[in-house]
Amino acid sequence: MNPSSASDLLYNPRNYLNSPETGLRSWLLTLDHKRIGVMFLVGTTISFFIGGVFALLIRIELLTPGPTIMSAMTYNRMFTLHGIVMIFLFMIPAIPSGFGNFLLPIMLGAKDVAFPRLNLLSFYLYLTGAAVALYGMIQGGTDTGWTFYTPYSTTTVTKVVPVLLGAFILGFSSILTGLNFIVTTHTMRAPGMTWSRLPLFVWSIYATSIIQILATPVLGMTLLLVAFEHAFGWGVFDPARGGDPVLFQHFFWFYSHPAVYIMVLPAMAVISEVVCAMAHKNMFGYKAVAYSSLGIAFVGFFTWGHHLFTSGQSAMTGGIFGVLSMLVGIFTAIKVFNWTATLYKGSIAFKTPFAYFIGFLFFLVFGGMTGIALATVSLDIHWQDTYFVVAHFHFIMVGATVMAFLAALHYWLPKITGRMYPEGWGLVAAVMIVLGFNFTFIPQFLLGNSGMPRRYYQYAERFWPLNVASTAGASVLAIGLLIVLVYTLLALKWGPLAGPNPWRSRGFEWDTPSPPPPENFEVTPVITHGPHEYEEPYPDLPATAAPEPKHV
Amino acid sequence: MAERGSVAMEEHERVGHHSHVGRYVVVWAALLVLTLATWALSRLHLPGGWAIFVALLIASSKGALVALFFMHLWDQTGANRLVFMTSLVFVALLILIVLSDNSTRFRLANPPGSEGALPFAPTDYSMGAAKEPGPSTGQGAPLPR
Amino acid sequence: MSSASAGEVAATSYLAHHFESLEKQQHAARLGMWVFLATEVLLFAALFAGYSVYRYLFHEAFVESSRGLQTWIGLVNTIVLVTSSFTVAMGLDRAGRGDGKGTRALFFVSVLLALLFLFFKYIEYSHHFETGELPGRFYRGEIAGSGPRLFFTLYFMITGLHGIHVIVGATILVVIGVRAGAGAYTPEYHVPVELAGLYWHLVDLIWIFVFPLIYLI
Repeated sequence: MNPSSASDLLYNPRNYLNSPETGLRSWLLTLDHKRIGVMFLVGTTISFFIGGVFALLIRIELLTPGPTIMSAMTYNRMFTLHGIVMIFLFMIPAIPSGFGNFLLPIMLGAKDVAFPRLNLLSFYLYLTGAAVALYGMIQGGTDTGWTFYTPYSTTTVTKVVPVLLGAFILGFSSILTGLNFIVTTHTMRAPGMTWSRLPLFVWSIYATSIIQILATPVLGMTLLLVAFEHAFGWGVFDPARGGDPVLFQHFFWFYSHPAVYIMVLPAMAVISEVVCAMAHKNMFGYKAVAYSSLGIAFVGFFTWGHHLFTSGQSAMTGGIFGVLSMLVGIFTAIKVFNWTATLYKGSIAFKTPFAYFIGFLFFLVFGGMTGIALATVSLDIHWQDTYFVVAHFHFIMVGATVMAFLAALHYWLPKITGRMYPEGWGLVAAVMIVLGFNFTFIPQFLLGNSGMPRRYYQYAERFWPLNVASTAGASVLAIGLLIVLVYTLLALKWGPLAGPNPWRSRGFEWDTPSPPPPENFEVTPVITHGPHEYEEPYPDLPATAAPEPKHV
Repeated sequence: MAERGSVAMEEHERVGHHSHVGRYVVVWAALLVLTLATWALSRLHLPGGWAIFVALLIASSKGALVALFFMHLWDQTGANRLVFMTSLVFVALLILIVLSDNSTRFRLANPPGSEGALPFAPTDYSMGAAKEPGPSTGQGAPLPR
Repeated sequence: MSSASAGEVAATSYLAHHFESLEKQQHAARLGMWVFLATEVLLFAALFAGYSVYRYLFHEAFVESSRGLQTWIGLVNTIVLVTSSFTVAMGLDRAGRGDGKGTRALFFVSVLLALLFLFFKYIEYSHHFETGELPGRFYRGEIAGSGPRLFFTLYFMITGLHGIHVIVGATILVVIGVRAGAGAYTPEYHVPVELAGLYWHLVDLIWIFVFPLIYLI
């Protein structure tokens, strides 16, 4: 990419990976946000792998209408664990705690996050939560689904309490990261980094952090109430004692619906960076994109009741929630239109991150539009708890978030490791993943619409062909993901050196050498221009000049 | 440095070195008076929703005194105020929406035995406010154990 | 002049490596604390929302259960906590004048008041255990229906969680009070004293709402 880079800057010799020291101890006790971010990335990738294995087992079980490879009870545990691992261990922390930790301070021109110790604590809470949840899984798992709906979750014989406590602890990890990012964004910005010069990545991660702060405590309390009810029989949700199970659903979705935006906003954060860098063009409508992140975070709190349309919620509340839910579509559409407009007359480099951007855009629009349909109360009564809903939220969660995660992985791999992935394999895997994903979930839309309920162990024979198609698609998707895993691991050791800025991106994070030095910047940078500035003439061959041309 | 330095600086100045003793004493006295007032008013058994309204009003003013003067929200700069206010907005959101659901529900959907549910002898299946479900209350309904 | 240079020395030793000035570091610490307090408020929000719903659904039972409580304990505890909040605020004022010993004394008074609060709570709880006014399936009281079971579940969850916060807050006050007494802070840098105070005021703030909702129905 960058043929004339000076060889001594092709790979920054004194970087966070080897200094101040190497060795396991220095990693486990590190306060460096970059190392913590990398550890989060490793942890979440392992979780993604485990969750993916569960998903494949579920798909294999559903290959035939009757029992295939496991018992009904195992199947129930399987889909529960798939949900819990994917949501709490992978999707919520992956982009904010992983990439966000690594990039946010660098993008702000800061040396570290505001509270480095809290940051490390957040990682250890993540590990503790994962360990407690894993203990619950080994002890027999739980069969409630990741939503833990009462009264079933308070009466089931499976080990629901450790899993609940695991999720509770993971919530605190999430809160601490969000707190850290909010304070970092407010107080650690480099001189000249005004709010209107914040990269869009930072805006979206900031909005995510607000949700994490405001919603997660409610989930923590709710899970605790369920655990108490299960363990001691003095909860508040058991209808046998006058409790209202729908209240649990209110509390649960007060967190878990905004949590969808905890998962999607970081994906939008990544995409806003990738689309500018790949199109070599200024963001179209920077302010609209920035504020729509806050808009999604805000409106996301007013929509939770659309999960309760058929649960006994009052018709009036249902109607209000239905209308409010559609507002999210407005802010999302603002972003989609701006990303698309950014491409217009750009000089597009069709690299792997861009391929994932294309996938992301399609899945987000498709998933979003079905979401608007589902927010319509009368339609939802037909689709509630069918595979239509499953396909819808997988389009958003896997489609949008995983595509963005993969785009981020490819886009920032040179930043994080200083090495490049193989572009050819990258595109092959991207095509397999996008196509495999479509093959997995489009049949599920059709299945749901013709009435196949979710979470069922067996199904009617007429659903057989589409289920086979879905499983076939899932295998292609899995092989694509495996290819990514293999070449990424190989690239860590043998990948060609990428140089300081292989994408010729104007993002602030590329102003430091790759991999970044432990203190990010030798001299605190002074920011003199907005983010994603491609209009002003590009300082050609950035590597031959000073490594940090913007710094004083 | 310039503009944010000044935010931090300004906050430092404002929260910094002034003596607040007089203010603290006044607020403390006010809190004690309000505590006794809310207790005394509760003895009066105000009719209808007035009791809870008055109690919450007094609690909110006490809370405001603590937050503004003991916690120095009065002297803080923008972000700190905004954070706390935002959290209160979302508390209100959660409570009000959940409550509005239970109070407008189809009565069969409220927990049995509660005042929002059907009375013991079901006559009225209409949706809408279940404010006064009739003479039957918690005691009338069939109970577990 | 000399005090200014002493302040400079203190400032450099308190400054963490990744902040450029002490003002900025204190600004960050304060904002971080406020964000944390916001999460605390929302932690209690779920319980208060549950309380609102069940108070609405089981109004009679809640009124009756609340009458069984000893209102004077709630009243005294409110006065105790409000006063402890006042002494903490005074302690912060002492810290602002560089009087670490004064801070320590006032914080210790607050801790004593906190212990008094917990003592009254203990009397109250043991009374509930005697009369069987316990949550959920353990309820053995006189009031029929599910209302009182829910009331006492919420009662124990709210006051229990608040009690845990009292214990945590008192511990923080002890630690910070001892450090202040040992001269760890200066008039320029006493942000830990301020943050400990903020936490304690929040504990007070929550009780201010608990008192009328639980005791004065």
